[in-house]
Formats: sequence, C-alpha cells, structure tokens
Amino acid sequence: MIRRIYLTSKLNDAVIDYFSLSRFQLHHGKARCSKSTSCCCFFSVMEERSSIVKTPLNNVLTQRRSKSYRRSMRSCVEATNLGYTSGHLTALRIPRSRRTPKSRDITKQVDPDQVALLVTKEWELSYVTPLYQFRHTQLKSYSKHLSAFIVSEKQQGLAIEVGQELGFKVNFSVVLGLAETDEDAETVFIQILSKHAFAAKDDAQKVVWSGWLTCVNGDLEYLRSLPSEFVSLPLLCTRGPESLTVLVKSWFEKTFDCCFGPLGINSTNLQWLAALWIGCHPTINIQYLKLVWTLPTLPPMDVKYTIHPQDAWELWDSVRQDDTTDVSIEEVTRFIKGLQSHFFRHFRIELSAGSLMQVSTALGSSHHSGKIKIASPTYITTILQLLTECALLKMPI
Amino acid sequence: MEAGTPCSGNDVLERNLVLVERVGLSRGLPPEAISVMLDYAMSLRMGGVMCVRVLKFLIPATVVPQEAVVRAVSWLCVGKIAISTQVLFLRWVLTVFDMIDSKDHLRAIYGFIFSFVTEESLSPYICHLLYLLTRRESVRPFRVRKLLDLQTKMGRQPFLLLLLSLYKVFYPELVTLALPSRMRSGFKNHNSTWKVALSAVQKRNNGQVSSDISLTLGLKDKTNSRKRKFHHLELPSLSSSIQSNSSSRSRKVFPLEQLHSFPQLLDNLHCIELPSQMGSLLGSSLALCYLDYVQDDSAFLRLNFWLGHALHEEFLFCSGDGGSGSSSEALHFLNRLLSTQHFLQEGFSSTEGFLYKFLNVWDGSLLRPQILGLLSDIPVVPSSCISQLLFEPLMQLFFTSTLFFKCSVIDCLNSMLLKWLTWHSVYALEDGLDISLNSHTPMNMTLSGFMDSVMELVRFVGRLATVGLQLEGCHSLLLSFILDFYETVCDMFLKYGLPLVVMPPVGVFYPALFATDPVSVDRLGYIMYRYKKNLTSAKCQQQETKQAFHISRQTYQEFNHYLLFMVSCLWNSKMFLPGMAIEVDQELLALSKVPEPWTSFDLIHHPAFLGCALDFHHKCWPERKDIDLNSIKAGKQWDWYPEFLFSQGFQGLQQFVQSSINRRSAAGINGQRGSQPTNR
Repeated sequence: MIRRIYLTSKLNDAVIDYFSLSRFQLHHGKARCSKSTSCCCFFSVMEERSSIVKTPLNNVLTQRRSKSYRRSMRSCVEATNLGYTSGHLTALRIPRSRRTPKSRDITKQVDPDQVALLVTKEWELSYVTPLYQFRHTQLKSYSKHLSAFIVSEKQQGLAIEVGQELGFKVNFSVVLGLAETDEDAETVFIQILSKHAFAAKDDAQKVVWSGWLTCVNGDLEYLRSLPSEFVSLPLLCTRGPESLTVLVKSWFEKTFDCCFGPLGINSTNLQWLAALWIGCHPTINIQYLKLVWTLPTLPPMDVKYTIHPQDAWELWDSVRQDDTTDVSIEEVTRFIKGLQSHFFRHFRIELSAGSLMQVSTALGSSHHSGKIKIASPTYITTILQLLTECALLKMPI
Repeated sequence: MEAGTPCSGNDVLERNLVLVERVGLSRGLPPEAISVMLDYAMSLRMGGVMCVRVLKFLIPATVVPQEAVVRAVSWLCVGKIAISTQVLFLRWVLTVFDMIDSKDHLRAIYGFIFSFVTEESLSPYICHLLYLLTRRESVRPFRVRKLLDLQTKMGRQPFLLLLLSLYKVFYPELVTLALPSRMRSGFKNHNSTWKVALSAVQKRNNGQVSSDISLTLGLKDKTNSRKRKFHHLELPSLSSSIQSNSSSRSRKVFPLEQLHSFPQLLDNLHCIELPSQMGSLLGSSLALCYLDYVQDDSAFLRLNFWLGHALHEEFLFCSGDGGSGSSSEALHFLNRLLSTQHFLQEGFSSTEGFLYKFLNVWDGSLLRPQILGLLSDIPVVPSSCISQLLFEPLMQLFFTSTLFFKCSVIDCLNSMLLKWLTWHSVYALEDGLDISLNSHTPMNMTLSGFMDSVMELVRFVGRLATVGLQLEGCHSLLLSFILDFYETVCDMFLKYGLPLVVMPPVGVFYPALFATDPVSVDRLGYIMYRYKKNLTSAKCQQQETKQAFHISRQTYQEFNHYLLFMVSCLWNSKMFLPGMAIEVDQELLALSKVPEPWTSFDLIHHPAFLGCALDFHHKCWPERKDIDLNSIKAGKQWDWYPEFLFSQGFQGLQQFVQSSINRRSAAGINGQRGSQPTNR
C-alpha cells in the first residue's frame, strides 16, 4: 500500500515537472506532445456532431424511446450473467481471474509461415455458433464449394459446376498447434485469391480476403456438452472487403447451419487486455500503453492517454497483491482506477464516466468495435484465449 | 385403318373425327381412346395436319395411360414430325402430366427425353418435362455438364436454371447457383385452351381428378421492402445440404424441399433428409410434423442455436440497425415462433434462455402479447431458481405497469400453469412418478420437485393478486383474471391428478366475496364448490389407499374458515361477530349508522345482488310502492329467492349453495343454519 502511494506521488511529480517544462502544447482543442521522457498525455477533443441531430424529425419520438430502452438493455445484458442451466448446455460465467500471460514461442508448435499470416494484421472479430458436421478432413471439397458459391452469388442466375476453374480460388488450411486443450478444435485458415480478368496465365493470384476460425482454451464444460456432430470454433477473424465477408459467412451458414454475429470487445475486456499486455513488459518491451476513452459530453470527447511503459509497469506491479500466477479482476480495476485518478488530478476529468474504447501497445491493439491486431506471436495464445471467452459468452445456448 | 389411306376428301374419316372431337371436348376421352388416338396421330399415318387436329381435342376424361405417352415419345425419336407439332405434343404432355396414371416407365426413358434438350425450340418444354420427372437417380454429372454447356450457348435461360436448381436440390455438391428473384416464378408452358377444356370436362365429370398443375418451387417471395443490413430475423430457405448428401450417396433420400403434402410425408418418412439450415423448418408445418416425429437431438440443437441467435441479436445485443422500424418484422417473427411452439406444444429451450435474460430488460410494452405468449410456453422451472429467473423480474414489471398489463401477466401465468399441469397429467401417466417434461431437454423432475414448482407459482400469483387488487382498487377486470387463475388452481387434484390443493390468500378471497359485480361472487361460489369436491375426494383417497401424500391440515382449516364465513355472510346474515375472520368493534359499527350492519352482505343486501333482490321484490309484490327487502327473508319468498337467483344464471352460486348448505324446506324464519364444515 505504502509503495503504491509512493509511486503515485512519484508519477505526479513527474507530470508536474513535465508541465512546468511546458512540453505540452494545447491548440485548437487538440493536444500535442513533444517527445516525452517519463509520461505523456495525449488529450484531444473531437469535434464530432452527434448523430441524433441527423435523425428526421418525425422519427425522433419513437426512436428515442427504443434507443434508450435498447441501450439500457445492452448494459444490463453485458453486466449480468446467468448462472442457470437450461437444457444440457451450461451457461458460461464471466471469469474473475486469469493466468498471467506466459511467454511462449508459438513458432515451435506452429508453422512460422502460418503464424506470419496471423500476426501484424488487423482483424475484425465475429462470433460463430457451433458448426454442424464440419470436418477438418473435408477442407479440399470446402474450398471447391466455397469458390463456386462465391462465383454463383456474384453472377446471379448462372449455374456453376462445382470444382471448375474459376476467377476465384479458395484455400482452406489447418493451423496445427494453436489449440491448447484436447477439446479445442484446430484452427482453420481461409484465403480467397483472385485472378485478374486480364492477367497472364502465370501471374500470381492476389489474396483478396482472409479469415480464420479458432478456439483457444475454450470452456471445457461447454465444449464437452456439445454432441459430437458439432465443432465449436467460436471466434472468426476476418480481413478483406465486406462483400466477401458476407458471402463467406452466408456459405458457412448454409453449409454448417451456424450463425454469425459481430463480436465487440467491451470495456472490461479491453481493461483485461491492457493488464495482460502490461504484464508482458518485463519480457518484451511494450514501448507504450495507449488508452482511448470516449466521454459522454456534447459533443463527445475522446481522450487519448499514453503512458510510459515503465510507469505503467510500476503501477501494475504495485497493485498486484502477490506473485501468484493468477491476475484477478480487482487488480485490473485497481490498475485502471489508478490511471484514472492520476488523470483526474491533472485535468479534473473523470475518465470513469466515459467508456474505454481502445487499448494499444507495441504488442498489439484492440478496439471496442471488435477489431484486434496482434503484433507479436509470443503472447498470441493469451489474447486468443480471452477472445475465445468473449465469443463463447455470446453463444445463445 | 390402313396405311396409305387418302386423307383429303375422306368423308368417313371426317365424320368419325368430328364425332370423336365432340365427345373429347364435351366429356373427355377414356384411357383406351386416348391411347389409340395418340398413337394414330403421332404415327403420322394421316399426315401432320391431322396430327395437330387430333392433339387439339385429346382431352382425357379420367387418366392418360403412360404407355401411350411412352409410345408417342418413341414416335418422336423417329424424327419425322415437324418441330411445331413436336412442341404441341410436349405441351399437351405437360398439360395432362398430372393425369398420367403412373410415371415409372416415363422415368425409365429419362435419358431419351434428355437427349432432346439440345434441340433449341424444344428445349424449354423438355426442361419442364424433365423437371417434373427428375428423381435423385436421374441427376448425373454428364447431364449437369451438358446443361451447363447449353447455358454457355444459350445464355441464362430460366428453364435451364430451373432444371439446374432442381439438380442442385438433389446434388448440391455438383452444381451451385443463385436464382435471381425474377426467375423464381416457375415454368410458363401450359396451353390455356387445353386447360380450359380440361377443367370444363373435369367439372362436368364432377371433378373426379383435380389436377393442379401449378408448379410450386418452394421459394418464398421476399417481402422485405426495406433492406436490412442484418438478416437474423429472416427465415433461411429450405435447401438440402452438401454434407449429408456426400456421406449417404447410396441411400435413397427425399429432400424436404420436395415435400408438398402430408401423404408424401407419410410415404417418405423413412428417408427424409433434414435441410441444411434447420431454421427453415419454422416456415413449414409439414417439416415441423417431421421434426416432431424424428426427435433428433442435434436437429433440435441446430434449431435452437439458430433461434437463440436470432432472438439474442434482435432483442439483446441489438447489433442490427437500431430498434425502430424493425418492429413489424420482429412481430412477424415472434408470431411465427409462437405458432410453431403451439404446433409442437412445447417451448424451445433457446426461447426459454432468452426470456430469462430479456425479462430483466423488458419495458413491459414492447411486443407484449408475443413475449407473454412465449413466456407461458416455458417448461417447468425448478423451484430453486424460479424466483430469481421468473418472479423477480416479473414482479418489478407487474407493480409498475398499467391495469391491462397486470391482467395479461395473470393470464399468462394462468396459461403457464395450465400447460405445466397438462404436461404433468400426460407424462406422469407414462413414466410413473418421474416425469420428463420436455423430451428434448433432459430436464427430469421428480413429482415432489414438480409440486414445489407449482406451489411456488401459485403462491407467487397469490402475492401478485393481493397487491394488484389493492393497487387497482379491486378492479373487476383484474379480479376476473385472478379468478380465472384460481379456477385452474382449485381443480388441480381432480382434473390433473396432482395431489396439491392451495387456497387463495385472504387478499383475493374477501375482495371477490365483497365484489360489487355478481359475476365475481358467482365465480367465487363455483371455485369454493370445486375446492370442496377436490378436498373431499382427496380425503377419501387418502383414507382408502393410505398413501404417503397428504394435504396439510392447514389447508383444510383455511378452507373451512372461508366456507364458514361465506355461508354465514351470504346465507345467515351474520357478520362482524367475535371469532370471525373480520371483526369490527361494535361501537365503530354503531358510528357508521348503518342499520343492521350484519345483514348488509347477505344474498339480499349484497351490493352485487341488490338489483336481483329489487327485481324479485317487484315480481312478488308488483303493487307495493315501498320496498322492504327484508320481507324476502320471510316465508316462501326465502325459498323462492335462491331459485330466482339461480334462474338468472348464477350457476356457481347454485352449486355452492347445493353443496354446502342444507336447506330445510318450509323453514319459516331467517333461513337455515346449514353450513357444513368438512373434513375436520
């Protein structure tokens, strides 16, 4: 406790010192910071107009009602979890503690080429209900069908023979080694390549879309409760044009009788991610910790808050109660509270009134709307485990 | 007829033809005649002109023998007939297709018929005929390739696409295509003059064979005028899956897409294949019949995943395009879900899980009838979690909403109880004491567990009703719904064989007894009568069988208490006496200055029956100007008065009086004390 107070005051000193040096310049509502040594705050007010203004007048009344109603619903749904067992599938619980991230050289188990496909790209997340009669042995025929499907959907009203050479080529492949437990299904990677209409024969095909379905350390009880005809790969990461994403999803829905939905990362999970990344700092330099909050003011205010990794690490180290391998939600909340109160002291802005929208470090970044980028393969399983959890929590049963 | 007979100027031929033509167009031709005439025409014995003429009046009276068609097709293969005549013949076949007596021989020459598909002008008709004849066995990769070749030659012809789409139904792994909406209307190859003649003939023959030739492709027309970004409320269309086909190629399967009638379902029950997306079943009652029959766990799970996903996305995650505007689709969806659940007579487990979450965030007005309808379908909830899942959110909604909402909640809980009791009475008989209430969720429940849940539910409604009546000033509409509920409760033992009797709380009993409308009092009479029946027969059974179950002594006491009070209040004009349920200080009563306050709730002075009493008084003494209701109490009038009341339709009261009050005839004074406490 004493250590924590000491640290906070030290941080304060650093910032006050920093202020006095006036490296902080405010102009036109945007804040810039020159090169910082100990800690810096990016602070910007976005001049965004709220979208409510654009709503047609006659709609306002009805819309307002349903809007507020829905918003309250959403917060409630995300806040509560139902510990009720209906049927034979168990409702999942939101975890209150996690293992500390362990550094693992994933390339020892997984083909480094395949790992390279997954990292350093930004992926859009969706959740998927269990796939019915999906077989890892049938990937070749899935490739044929999906490419025929894409062509036939693109050319409405033209029958396509399955297995023909077409403008699109689809590759299904298994990423062996990402699965952590026996219940986890192996990750499936999908690539769509396209040949330009006027390309020469030996021209390389261009990757126009890629995506992967994965499950890392999924809840054992849930996975075991599924009948054997179902394969649960609850997390889908996609990258590429929206139109192709829609087609791929619709083919999966038609073929494996599953459903897709967008997977956002809520504030709590963003906080978890921040804490997990900070925990990696001793082994890999995270370089910076950047958090973005949106405050419900009119117009909405975005606050970008960048913390020096060493400061963040020390704060994190101080809130950690002991050197156990588990991190608890209380510790994460305390860490974020510490950052927030520090901010409040200087700017009199209560960040806890807003919502955390984005977290990024050199190890990766993630956004509230369901986007994630994993920069380093070392901690990939930890991140994927968290995302798998989020996806499984979205399962309807 | 000999070959080589001249056709022009042949009067005999002409005369006979006219005769046949007249018969054909008026009454239709018998099968043999069809056979002879078709053979005659197609053989071109009298040339092409005559052939056309004969085809035009070839209206079958009953059926067309398939051999005739097969022979005609073989004439087609000879290749002498003019193309226009061939077209005419094919159109004739298509028109009378449903009247061909059997089609197996025609299917046997599928390959011959298929060979005509390359003939450009025949192709639309051949495709249609093939469409009608195609079975799974007839779809071959080389045929698919041939059709695809044609497609590249002729462009996107609807007839080719329709045939290919049928091939896709049977073998989705061979061919794939997306039909644009304008091509979904089906073939248009019928000859209207034949159809008119055919229907006229059929009408004349009392419509023995009704042929409905209209082709249904089983494709829903999309009525979505507004484009939605997310389609989670849209039912997927029926289509066969790539999956199971490849695994069971050898087995004979019947895709649900091809299913159009109940007899068809019965014929193919053993080989029906579930569609690729289970959600599509929600749209078809035939498919639901099948689903109910197979009891396939993974099929139900697939359906539940889809349904739960749709409900969650639409109402809980709201990832779609906001709420407004989609309400009509949501309404449509929920109505369909409701009718499906009623059809299957059970709720889906995903609906149940969804409702528990949704109740916490529901405002009580959005799609109220649908949500409450779904709620009444949920299977029995274990008593350990019923309060957290169901009662707490419902209670909050109940106390903060309007009278009508309160009524609909009580109504919903009543139908929920009814369904639980029905399940119990059905399954308890089957499996003894262990009842598996929902065959698709292995939620097994012991009898005592079930009784606990029912008890919790009844008590909960008792609490709701008590407070609800107070909040709404004993509104008679609400009271009526509450009495509905207790009409179910009072008969649990006799009607549903559940050894459980729960009495209504005082907060329901007294407001019903003192209600200002006679209907409520009458219904209370009926309920008390049923309680008595149930309790006495339970007592009998308990004494006879000496079984472990017993209805607690307290229930009997409560019942006797109510009965005593009701009899002395309505019949004996006794109230407010010490020792009774309602005690009022005598001095306080005197202060109210009501004369003879103890009589004010007897059958004559009860506000509910005052009108009847006045009416009765008027009928007894039409000439009397001053009304003295007390005079009814004397003499014969007191005997007649109840009869008069019963004749006004108060059957409940009649049953109550007859079962609980010993009336001694010709009793002169102030009625008879006849209360008969039971089962002490």
